[in-house]
Amino acid sequence: MSAGGSLVSVNLAASIEQASVGDPYRIDADGAPYVPAGDGGIVLGVRVGDGVWQHIADHAAPGACLTHSDPAAAYALSAQACIGNLVTVRSGEAAGECGMVTGKRGEGGRVIVTFAQPVLGRLRPGDQVAVVGRGQGAADLAPGAVLRNIDPDLLSELPVETPGGKVSVGVRAVLPSRVVGNGIGRPTPMWDLDLQLTPASAGGFGAAGLRLGDLVAITDIDARFNAGYRRGWVSVGLVVHGGSPQPGHGPGVTVILSGPAGAFVLNADATDHCGLREETVLEAGRDN
Amino acid sequence: MVSNAGQLITQVLAGEVWPPLADRHGFRVNPDGHAFLLPGMGGVTLGVHCGDPATGYAGDHVEPGLSVRHRDPAANYALQYLSCIGNTVTVSSGPGAGAEGFVIGQHAYVLVDMAEPDMRQVTTGDQVTVLAVGQGLALAEHPDVVVKNCSPRLLAALAGGTRADGRLEVHVAARIPAEAIGAGSGMVSEYANTDLMGAYAGLGEDLSLGLEGLRVGDVVAMADQDHRFGRGYREGFMSIGVISTGSCQLFGHGPGPSTILSGPASAFRIIDDSDANIGVLAVPPGAAPAGAAPAGDAR
Repeated sequence: MSAGGSLVSVNLAASIEQASVGDPYRIDADGAPYVPAGDGGIVLGVRVGDGVWQHIADHAAPGACLTHSDPAAAYALSAQACIGNLVTVRSGEAAGECGMVTGKRGEGGRVIVTFAQPVLGRLRPGDQVAVVGRGQGAADLAPGAVLRNIDPDLLSELPVETPGGKVSVGVRAVLPSRVVGNGIGRPTPMWDLDLQLTPASAGGFGAAGLRLGDLVAITDIDARFNAGYRRGWVSVGLVVHGGSPQPGHGPGVTVILSGPAGAFVLNADATDHCGLREETVLEAGRDN
Repeated sequence: MVSNAGQLITQVLAGEVWPPLADRHGFRVNPDGHAFLLPGMGGVTLGVHCGDPATGYAGDHVEPGLSVRHRDPAANYALQYLSCIGNTVTVSSGPGAGAEGFVIGQHAYVLVDMAEPDMRQVTTGDQVTVLAVGQGLALAEHPDVVVKNCSPRLLAALAGGTRADGRLEVHVAARIPAEAIGAGSGMVSEYANTDLMGAYAGLGEDLSLGLEGLRVGDVVAMADQDHRFGRGYREGFMSIGVISTGSCQLFGHGPGPSTILSGPASAFRIIDDSDANIGVLAVPPGAAPAGAAPAGDAR
């Protein structure tokens, strides 16, 4: 459901996050302790297009995570920032450089921003950035198919088309609802959905080749508001962070489309799918 | 069935009946996008006990009985992690002091059922004492099965036991498909519970997974759930839980089991049994104070 009218853009302030942990150890699905690396903050060397299990990491995202020191402002940041939004660095060594929002994460309200690797290397936790928040409230893409968490201008760069009143989407895999873990039951503007997949199990779901930036479809999930089980529905999202050893966690999906299955034509390609490309992200940063 | 119950220790933990909490916006959103404002979490929820329906209330996250926390965050985690289903809880202040109930599960609160006349004497701010025992419980003949949140008293009350074929027989009132697992997935399994979707009585058929008949206190079997070290999906595993919370309108949430057993499905023999409910642990109204309770378990 669209609010109607034209979209509003807002300049949101945020800061580059420092990764933080409590206890040094987390416990993996087999009960073994591990030290989480790459869970938030600035992560170097993880890029859009990389395999979700390519790096030895926990929830590693391609780029840097943004947050805000005030919890309510952090929730607003994550709710209003959308995939495709421009991010400009305002302080520190990388001031003036630009990146693009490529995802969002749950719990604390975090926004994932992808920068060119040389820019990422000059960022430091605490650097201030501005996000041009735009996208929430966008009109339905087709009857019944609501758009969430993405600037509609970015859709032309994704395998998303609307022939004959339906949404045709190219995806890496069509996954059953039972693999959705952390994020279920949470408001989708502020949480991603973790896919409970491992390198050992993914092949059984046609997702062995899952990459950051891929689109995936999840059946029987209605993610218009909170995410939950509804038979006969489909939600489509962008893979925004990598796998996790924790039970109930895994590669994260920020939902961009949700509606009755009849509103969609899903074209799954386990080997040659191409979703959001790194070139698209980096060009968006350079153009500004 | 051989367990190490004799080696477990009991800790005396203080808790406080915690108020219902809201924010200034009040409303939340149901599966169809409609706003609602309903009671359920926190405080003392009257009229819902083990054996009663878990669904069908005009409520959200209905927490039967007393909802208990501790004011200090670290002490609260200890209270939440160490309290086990079946532990004796005594009211320690207020007009209801001396009344006794038992833990039925966790839900970011420790949830306590007691006789309705006793419960009516208790309100927010009253102090309670939990005799916490159960974490560390293990079954020598079932090394692949992890036991948690389960007091020795509950273990003894569960129907079934070790079978001749070596499996652990567990009686359950319902079997839960993996599709029903909602909020709580990915969290540690000694805290809060696993919300079940598909039990939205009165809402659309397309939301139903046939779980509207669940009752508070039902023992249930969750398919493809590995809750040994958290809560996650794993084909071929099984987790057993006790329904400790009821009706939800919030989407992706619902009646929730607190986990008591988890392991490979092949380690269990599941028996469908409509009597599989922890109501058998109920304490009669006006029961004597818990001072003489052996090893901290509800008598």
